[in-house]
Amino acid sequence: MSRGRVWIDALAGTRAMPLPDGPASVVLADAPLGAGTARYVAVVPNPASRAHRARNGEMGIDEGYGLAAAIDTTPPGSALVAIVDVPGQAFGAREEADALQRSLAAAVSAYVAARERGPVLALVVGRAISGAFLAHGLQASWLGALRDPGVEVHVMSAPSVARVTRSSAEEVARIARIVPATARDVETFASFGALDALLDVTDADAPGDADVARVRDVLARAAADPSLAGRRPVDRLARGGGTRTLSRAVRVRLERDW
Amino acid sequence: METLTYERSGGTPVARRAHVGVVASGDLELLLEPADTGLRVRVATTAGGYGETWRAVFDRFFAREPIAASIEINDFGATPAVVALRLEQALEAAR
Amino acid sequence: MTIEPSFAEASARERARAILDAGTFRELLDPFARVASPHLAAQGLVAQSDDGVVVARGALAGVDAVAIATEGRFLGGSIGEVGGAKIAGALELAARDLRAGRAFRPVLLIDSGGIRVQEANLALLALAEIHDAILACERYAPVVALIGGRVGAYGGMAIATALCRTIAMSEGARYGLNGPEVVEEEAGIAELDSRDRPRIWRISGGRARVAQGVAQMLVEDTHAACRAAVLAAFGDVEARV
Repeated sequence: MSRGRVWIDALAGTRAMPLPDGPASVVLADAPLGAGTARYVAVVPNPASRAHRARNGEMGIDEGYGLAAAIDTTPPGSALVAIVDVPGQAFGAREEADALQRSLAAAVSAYVAARERGPVLALVVGRAISGAFLAHGLQASWLGALRDPGVEVHVMSAPSVARVTRSSAEEVARIARIVPATARDVETFASFGALDALLDVTDADAPGDADVARVRDVLARAAADPSLAGRRPVDRLARGGGTRTLSRAVRVRLERDW
Repeated sequence: METLTYERSGGTPVARRAHVGVVASGDLELLLEPADTGLRVRVATTAGGYGETWRAVFDRFFAREPIAASIEINDFGATPAVVALRLEQALEAAR
Repeated sequence: MTIEPSFAEASARERARAILDAGTFRELLDPFARVASPHLAAQGLVAQSDDGVVVARGALAGVDAVAIATEGRFLGGSIGEVGGAKIAGALELAARDLRAGRAFRPVLLIDSGGIRVQEANLALLALAEIHDAILACERYAPVVALIGGRVGAYGGMAIATALCRTIAMSEGARYGLNGPEVVEEEAGIAELDSRDRPRIWRISGGRARVAQGVAQMLVEDTHAACRAAVLAAFGDVEARV
């Protein structure tokens, strides 16, 4: 069972299901969260998908549009909680022919619109790779992750990085130590100010009741935090400390010369 | 990656700054800025070990065009002919 | 008879200049500002002084505008931390002006393979900011994307393009999430042969994307035609001179 599936079911306290007319790979559950309610959404593997390049939890055509539908139908007053465990976008000829970028853009737009209606949270429980993470997680106002070696944030798989940069796996690992932007571990990602919370759990693959209760409590407090309202990705810049000095300096100079 | 510098004294100041080229395979980016006196070139290149070649290109070019300027080159393996061409274009734009 | 200059052959800077009203081009953070990538030298790569992104203020048919152009020849037009911040920052300022009720025209001249793998996660964060900023502008006014270079629009920049109101493409440009080489590498040659050019152009070329309705305007590969298309996308027409 995928981590996304494990965590969405555990946090919602019920089996997350697809929308009646939605793809089997996009599951959701409406459940109590703190004093309110939440809609949890996740992308999970669908080995039976007709899209053979999107059977392992990748973001394919169905997943982007399906996610948008799941987000758009969030009950009024509910928080939206994205459970993120996506190995990447689907790499397929059919996906390209069907303009996969539009499907992922639909999910991005849906998240941005959802921020206007209520709290939008995302919790990374496994992999958060590239276009899939852009479409599912990065537009949230609050972004948390499990502090676990299985949590991985990057723009491509490790073997692909080695191939694209024509480097050995050892060289890629060496570079990751001196160029933090290329690291895959969640601690380094947190150092960019990208995360609101890094959560310790005893078993990220098979969380116990105490782990689930603790994580749910953190989500509940975040969803109830009024300062979260409307918070955008750019607002993470200020929390990035020294690692994002340049990203801030560019904006200061642009504004001065605008 | 390697960084090289090249200097000459004297020369005629250029009128204005100029920017030409791109850091693309077989090409380079060149930033030329006026200086009161002397020429100073700084080269950052992906292709190491060609110090003598750079020196020869600069000696030949600046003997013909003695300018006072500060030049920065970001190189991605440009040939001497491309280096001379970009210098020529920059100088043309800076006159 | 004169041969009109090719837009695809032009540099990012020349493209921005060609699109904006004559004499209005004013570059922000130009090469002499020397805000280059600090992440490349450690990876054996030479940085470019504008990080491959040109941000130019100017006018479009007299209306305040910003033209943002990526340089496809520098590391495949890839988006790094600095370039990403330039694009996001410019769009955020455009959104601020639009929110304040000012007329403003943001144009993206895209020639980019997407996120720069050498600056992976900082570029990823920048792309999320770019997407958000495009949508912030789109609440008030259109953002126009023109894909007119040799690289095309891929990866996170393809998603950015898809968020824009109007997309114009030249016939030689390509637009998709994953480039054919990437699909072939990740999925095998049986999935997609990246050397099968006719098939790739049928999928992602300008003519195909316009026929599919994925892009809205097919433009000739000249400076004048690209400018005319951008103006038309904003609802203006300009008599050809």
